[in-house]
Amino acid sequence: MPLLSDNDAAVLRQHLQPVTASVDLLLFTQAFGGAESGPIAKQVLDEIAALNDKVHVVEKNFVLDTDDRTRYGVEHAPCIVILRNGEDTRMRFLGAPMGYEFVPLVESVLMAGTGDADLTQASVDTLARVTTPTAIKVFSTPT
Amino acid sequence: MKMAFSNPHITATAVEAQEFMELSRRYRVTGVPKTIINDTVEILGGLPEDDFVAQAFPGLTPTA
Repeated sequence: MPLLSDNDAAVLRQHLQPVTASVDLLLFTQAFGGAESGPIAKQVLDEIAALNDKVHVVEKNFVLDTDDRTRYGVEHAPCIVILRNGEDTRMRFLGAPMGYEFVPLVESVLMAGTGDADLTQASVDTLARVTTPTAIKVFSTPT
Repeated sequence: MKMAFSNPHITATAVEAQEFMELSRRYRVTGVPKTIINDTVEILGGLPEDDFVAQAFPGLTPTA
């Protein structure tokens, strides 16, 4: 059973229409002993990818694909890593992107696909001064 | 996410707090959204973009 209604899918399809770059959604999951949310995350991503030909889901094995885990710094599963034209965007999602994480996920796909972060000039000016590795974690809940 | 996309030095991770309880405990997440920057700066709740950036990167705003 789809997670998105026909109406929601139509709205999202329109929303993602500006996507012009190739967007890969790498999904690291663990088949055995992994979280139950892995298959849910897969379904969410598949339904988003079905809305735009430029968006693709690439499954990665959390246990076996150690090179990719190292490359993208993936320490937990399920984890979604978003690539733009094959390049890391440094945007990650841990857990099934349901509830409050769904909209940020869609907006991140849009950002990766359009190249536009839509930040204010003040934010752009401040962020230009960040020159050291910075890790931001944002905790949220499904409801 | 916008900040990570805009600066190659920044990585942003959205964490589902209920699923990753160990991380939630480690960062003392008692309410959401809660943002942690480099394990040191904590921001509780949602803020307008400019306020968020100013709190996340104190001392780096152009007027600072």
